[in-house]
Amino acid sequence: MTLTIATSLDEVLTALAEGARPIAGGTDLVVGARQGKSPLPDSLVAIDRVAALSQIESADGHIRIGAGVPHRRLMSDTLIVERYTGLADAAALIGSPSTRNVGTIGGNVMNGSPAMDTGAPLLTLGAMVELRSVGNTRQVALSDLWTGPGRTSANPDELCVYIVIPQPPALSGSAYVRLEYRRAMEIAVVGAGASVVVAEDGTIVSGRVAMTSVAPTIVELAGASDAMAGLSLVEAAAVIGAMASDQAVPISDLRGSDRYRRHTIGVMAARALDAAARRAGGEQIGVPVNRSLGIGAAR
Amino acid sequence: MVIAESPRFMRADGPDKVTGSGRYTADLTLTGMLTAKFLYAGVSHARITKLDVTAARHVPGVFAVLTQADVPDIRYGSVADRTLFSDGVIRFEGEVVAAVAAIDTKSAQAALDAIVFEYEELPVINDVEAALEPDTPLVHENWATYDADDDVSRQANVASFTSITRGDVDAALAGADRVISSRYVADASHAVPIEPRGVVAQWEGDRVTIWSSTQVPFQARDGVCEVLELPTNRVRIIVPHLGGGFGGKCGFHYEAHIAALARASRRPVRLVFSREEEFLAPDRRREGMIIEVTSGLNADGTIAGRRSRVLLDNGAYSSDAAFFPHMAAMHALGPYKIDHVHAEASSVYTNHQPSGSVRAPTAPQACWALESHTDELAKAIGMDPVAFRQLNAVDTGATGVTGQVYDEIGLQECIREAVAASAYGDELADDEAVGVAIGWWPTFPGASGAYIKVDSDGKGVIITGAQECGTGAVMTLPYLAAAELGMAPEDFELVYQDTSVGPYDVGATGSQTLLNNGRATVEAARQIAVQLKQLAAEKLEASPDDIVLNGGKAFVAGSPDSGVTIAELAAIAADGEMLLGRGSGAPPETPEAPNTVSCVGDQGMNGWAGPQFSCHAVRIRLDRDTGVVRVLEVNTAHDSGVIINQIGASGQVEGGVLMGIGQALTERTVYGADAKQMNAGLLEYKLQTMADAPPISIHFAEVYTPDMGPNGSKPIAEAPNVATAAAISNAIAKLVGKPVRLLPMTAERVWETLQEDGA
Repeated sequence: MTLTIATSLDEVLTALAEGARPIAGGTDLVVGARQGKSPLPDSLVAIDRVAALSQIESADGHIRIGAGVPHRRLMSDTLIVERYTGLADAAALIGSPSTRNVGTIGGNVMNGSPAMDTGAPLLTLGAMVELRSVGNTRQVALSDLWTGPGRTSANPDELCVYIVIPQPPALSGSAYVRLEYRRAMEIAVVGAGASVVVAEDGTIVSGRVAMTSVAPTIVELAGASDAMAGLSLVEAAAVIGAMASDQAVPISDLRGSDRYRRHTIGVMAARALDAAARRAGGEQIGVPVNRSLGIGAAR
Repeated sequence: MVIAESPRFMRADGPDKVTGSGRYTADLTLTGMLTAKFLYAGVSHARITKLDVTAARHVPGVFAVLTQADVPDIRYGSVADRTLFSDGVIRFEGEVVAAVAAIDTKSAQAALDAIVFEYEELPVINDVEAALEPDTPLVHENWATYDADDDVSRQANVASFTSITRGDVDAALAGADRVISSRYVADASHAVPIEPRGVVAQWEGDRVTIWSSTQVPFQARDGVCEVLELPTNRVRIIVPHLGGGFGGKCGFHYEAHIAALARASRRPVRLVFSREEEFLAPDRRREGMIIEVTSGLNADGTIAGRRSRVLLDNGAYSSDAAFFPHMAAMHALGPYKIDHVHAEASSVYTNHQPSGSVRAPTAPQACWALESHTDELAKAIGMDPVAFRQLNAVDTGATGVTGQVYDEIGLQECIREAVAASAYGDELADDEAVGVAIGWWPTFPGASGAYIKVDSDGKGVIITGAQECGTGAVMTLPYLAAAELGMAPEDFELVYQDTSVGPYDVGATGSQTLLNNGRATVEAARQIAVQLKQLAAEKLEASPDDIVLNGGKAFVAGSPDSGVTIAELAAIAADGEMLLGRGSGAPPETPEAPNTVSCVGDQGMNGWAGPQFSCHAVRIRLDRDTGVVRVLEVNTAHDSGVIINQIGASGQVEGGVLMGIGQALTERTVYGADAKQMNAGLLEYKLQTMADAPPISIHFAEVYTPDMGPNGSKPIAEAPNVATAAAISNAIAKLVGKPVRLLPMTAERVWETLQEDGA
């Protein structure tokens, strides 16, 4: 096996063009190889020392998060926690402290798992990924990126370099909650992200909801914004919960039956919306919501 | 007796483990060492039609390939149903078909790939009730011809059976005011020690040294001697630091496979398991269980009679599980005053991984069922469940279900203290409740030995046959020796976990290390105390009877300032009669129930020696929308006699409770229709994590228990693992309106129960 330790983006892209696969924290790649899911590639390029990938930059109208930013930073970065709170919720739930120290947002997004925690909040926040290869750069919406479990539309020579998220409007808030059976080393049984804009009186103006572990990819709840516009939070939560259960196409596996997932995705969607709307109205709900509000009894 | 002046307890093995300087089996490397790999059956029930290892033996880098044809044709086990390699019939997926020793992992894998292994599949027996159907084939066709203890009764797929009968249960139930029946089903689970097992074997001439991560080195040695036909003094088992066991590393497993590979290859050989192998292969798993209990109640709330029936999933081989039916039957009757009982328990062969001792085998599941049933009884007559237990549970002088009359015990104190420490009866949020359950566990007296020597500088070494599995029991031995000799615990080093050095001990099993080896250590220390007093008496011109050993000195009672140091005495002894002690102490007797009118069949015991009692009160929160339960607080009280080492004993309670929470809520082994495990890994087998650990309060009802462990003590290692799941069940039932009848009580099962009528 060849391992190239890159220190610049150009080195990484050249290595990818020659057939190497990128490795940052290795929390999916190495664990997957040890489980026998897929062997480690013959050629790896380590991207964790590329400084450009570890920046969080706020620019005009958006934030640019380097693909190499670890979950630990996402859950505690002031800007992320204040304005992109759903992403911080998700980062705080991933794995264990050691997983969060080395696992990265780029790795989570590009792994393409339907159970990834950062996916649903990123989708509701309208995030794009910036993919780069030698001589080419493009931005892809997340809904176009994820094509199936563990599959993305990125080419093998493309590296996710940034996650770009537009700045949320005023009176908006976001949240991510998941159903979990324990408080660490857990994978979402189901999960939901929501971001909403509220009126001064708390009425929902618009919003987006996305669902984890109920379809082959992270999926957005269709028609959510129209359905909740003009409703009170209590009404909206009920409507969104029912829609989520209706639109979910979960499987049965060791973590839960399709029947149970179909029910609980509704509960999670309603709770995510509730937390997001309350944050939009100025309420401080600590990160992650799962601990602050007792999702899954985990107060 | 004061064991240590301060509560400080520095484990002798602590710094090694914390700093990483300690060596575990997998850390050992010997010159020329080969890697071992096993070919597992990978199918649950089949007849081998072809097994040819010729090509595998010719793979480059391969030194040995063995099958059952290459080892003595010997069956072993508590029922002699086991062979080292498959005997031609595959009875569970983790059965070892062949073993390879090769220069590296890649060559070993290439050899496994080159083995021709063909079989015809047989119908799988995946369920204990199906296994008992008259037309179900036998898992062991010829098992009537196997050797077994005389008291093992053989019927169809029943691997072992016990019954307990006392009084006339039919009449009692017929005459009862209320009769209530319950059925509960528990899934299998696993011990999951953090260290997957390792074995290293090296021959020198006709002697073999085996380093193994076993809890029971002498049992491992005896297993090797039996199947490889060797005398005990040619097999030496050494256990480096053990990375936990929880019962999972009890028994004899792979030491002989690796010794046989090392002999055939004329090289040292090392086996290190992956986590998946640790789940699939060993003869150790907490058994799945079906528990049915019927109780009759009198109008005053006392229990008129109880009938219990338990089916245990024995798995494909009997391992050490032959005594499990007795344990299960006792737990399905419980520590209650009932004059009319009948219990039957059968351990039933299936095509699952064999069951074996996992911390308090059978108890957490059977206690969960019985104590959930107990809350159903209290509810049916409108009685407070704690008051119901206070009325019906045994206490000092009471007669238990087998007719045993209890000496001084602290069960009622446990109930009182655990409940008092809890929020039981307080105003709680409507999604919170406190559940209470009681449990018990027997003490296992047995033979055990230790030596002590004190060298010329007054420093001592305890050479013990006992095994440390992480509980700190062996680590507590220096405190016992020091107390006898007026020395400090730090004055002693330990030599342990080596069968050719230490005297026999049954191992880190049955919570018995301090009980039996503590007694042996005290006896060995007392022999040295006699010698020291004699030497001091000569030096101080006094009678040995007047000499006191304290503070590192020997002095005449009442004159502590005019003594002689133990180091000085040791220096004198080193030139003459050396300071050597040995102890093995006669084990305490197991009581028979006096004037017994009970019949405890087969593998049972009428009386339990030194029974330990416990009460756990657990406060939970239930998320009714999802069924997720969170444990908020656990209040425990234990009668384990006088506590020798408060820190160590508390650690056992905390660990037992955490394991109990896992068994209650998340830990289960799931079998597919092919009888294979579907979650043999830490991703889908959900252990509790430190982030899930609730606050745990601990009370010890320190009832002095004569003629048992040192200083009036009883064991503690398994007892805390008995009642937690039961208490959680009772808390859930309060919030749901009815019990969840499946263990673990997963979020989905709780939610499904909430959807049922009556919830």
